[in-house]
Amino acid sequence: MKKRVQVATATMLFVVLAGCASDGATQTAPAQAATPKAVLFEQPTTAKAIIEKDKLGAPVKYTMPDGCITDDADAIARGGFIFHNLNGKKAKGDAPKGLAKMIEVNGKKVEKQYGNCVACHNIEKAKGGGNIGPDLSNYKAIFIDTGVRDHAFVYQKIADARIDNPNTHMTINLTTKLFTEREICDITSYVVSPK
Amino acid sequence: MKKALISLVAASALLLASDQFAMSDADRAMYAEMLEANPAEIFVQEGGEKLAKLGGDAALAKFLGKTEETLPAYIAGFPRYIASLGAVVSLEQVLQAMMKSQGLEAYKFASADMTALSAYVKSLANEEKINIDVNADEHIKAAYALGKEVYETKRGARGLACLSCHSSDVIGSILRTQPLPDLGKAVAGGTWPAYRMTKSSLTTLQKRFQGCMNNALLAVIPQGSPEMVALEVYVTNLGKGGEIAIPGLKR
Ligand code: HEC
Ligand code: HEC
Repeated sequence: MKKRVQVATATMLFVVLAGCASDGATQTAPAQAATPKAVLFEQPTTAKAIIEKDKLGAPVKYTMPDGCITDDADAIARGGFIFHNLNGKKAKGDAPKGLAKMIEVNGKKVEKQYGNCVACHNIEKAKGGGNIGPDLSNYKAIFIDTGVRDHAFVYQKIADARIDNPNTHMTINLTTKLFTEREICDITSYVVSPK
Repeated sequence: MKKALISLVAASALLLASDQFAMSDADRAMYAEMLEANPAEIFVQEGGEKLAKLGGDAALAKFLGKTEETLPAYIAGFPRYIASLGAVVSLEQVLQAMMKSQGLEAYKFASADMTALSAYVKSLANEEKINIDVNADEHIKAAYALGKEVYETKRGARGLACLSCHSSDVIGSILRTQPLPDLGKAVAGGTWPAYRMTKSSLTTLQKRFQGCMNNALLAVIPQGSPEMVALEVYVTNLGKGGEIAIPGLKR
């Protein structure tokens, strides 16, 4: 019993050192670290905390804000740009008015993440559209005008798809704070607009 | 020689199954060429030279309490719990411990040296079938459970889990021109380290995991962490019974 504990402590010590060198992890060494035994290997201890901090929160039911759905051309263009692109670095051409390609995070300029919806959905003018999610082509005529779906449904789907389908494979876009409410409105406006 | 043949068979099956979909004609021509001679063979050879300096296959077998005859089948069962190391470990960690036991500085887990060395060691099990036993003891059972949890945990800026893209109901669907692979049928646990054409380098399974985390905006967890090894246990078990063919060849 005692021996096992000792080996574990020594292992963690090596882990701590390796962790500092490779990913700048801030870990304090165990207080009574034994002299390292002969057999040691890297085993960083930081993953648990990284995963914990990164976890998706519980599903959230949203109310679509007033004036959310619009036929404003700029808003629809922003929604379309977010739909068709992965991020500001990969996106070709200028972003539409009111949408940044680079943003500042903790004083560092980084690319803004977009929706990459086209990775899973086909839609008008999609380039290399995926088929993990349903085809969203002609969405207004097929789903909205027929009353099968309404704007609030689409808004909720994009904001947090788990309310409609707890086992969804779709990305979660508002609960993760990837986008703002206004951006979800832009994307929704794009999806339900005539194209 | 036998080794090359095996990777050829495995790789061409892969090509037919899905990769042709995602490849341009030029890429496909390159792929066909690489089937003849996997560019990573040279790294595997280098790995063999590195092991020779540590005493070769015989020294590794001895370190693991095996004979050279039983070593391949034993390697085909990693990651596994090793009592003397007090943990469920991947091959890289065994090799680190072996180097340390010889008073040497161990290669870093994620280094090119370690990738070459571990690729060689795993290639000793070529033609063996993955025989990981996730019920062998309480430690590997716990690692399997942890791996499943990590695999299924939704996280990151898009709220995705590995399962979001690798569950049976979406396998084969197209994600932005890429068919979603079945990690079991692709024998992910038996075909990495692999040469990645898109990266022009030999890549380990855990580094490939990190690639998916990066792409899908999941915070990347460090190689060698209990959670990463657990993920390797879980993914390897998906391809249990599949044939080991190192180095793999991937898009
Ligand atoms: C990783 C895959 C994936 C991504 C990325 C994705 N979706 Fe989806 N989406 C799905 C799947 C799967 C469904 C259907 C099943 C479900 O709702 O869970 C779906 C359903 C939908 C629906 C409902 C269609 C209907 O009427 O039933 C809409 C609208 C939609 N997605 C829009 C979007 C938008 C906009 C984005 C980007 C911000 C996006 N999706 C990104 C996979 C994805
Ligand atoms: C957004 C979708 C997505 C998510 C999330 C995702 N993957 Fe992948 N994964 C893919 C795609 C697409 C490929 C194939 C890419 C290619 O061929 O280059 C792939 C390939 C792989 C491979 C290589 C398969 C082979 O041929 O041997 C492994 C292993 C893997 N993923 C593991 C994981 C793990 C582990 C996670 C979670 C940490 C994960 N993936 C999350 C989409 C995803």
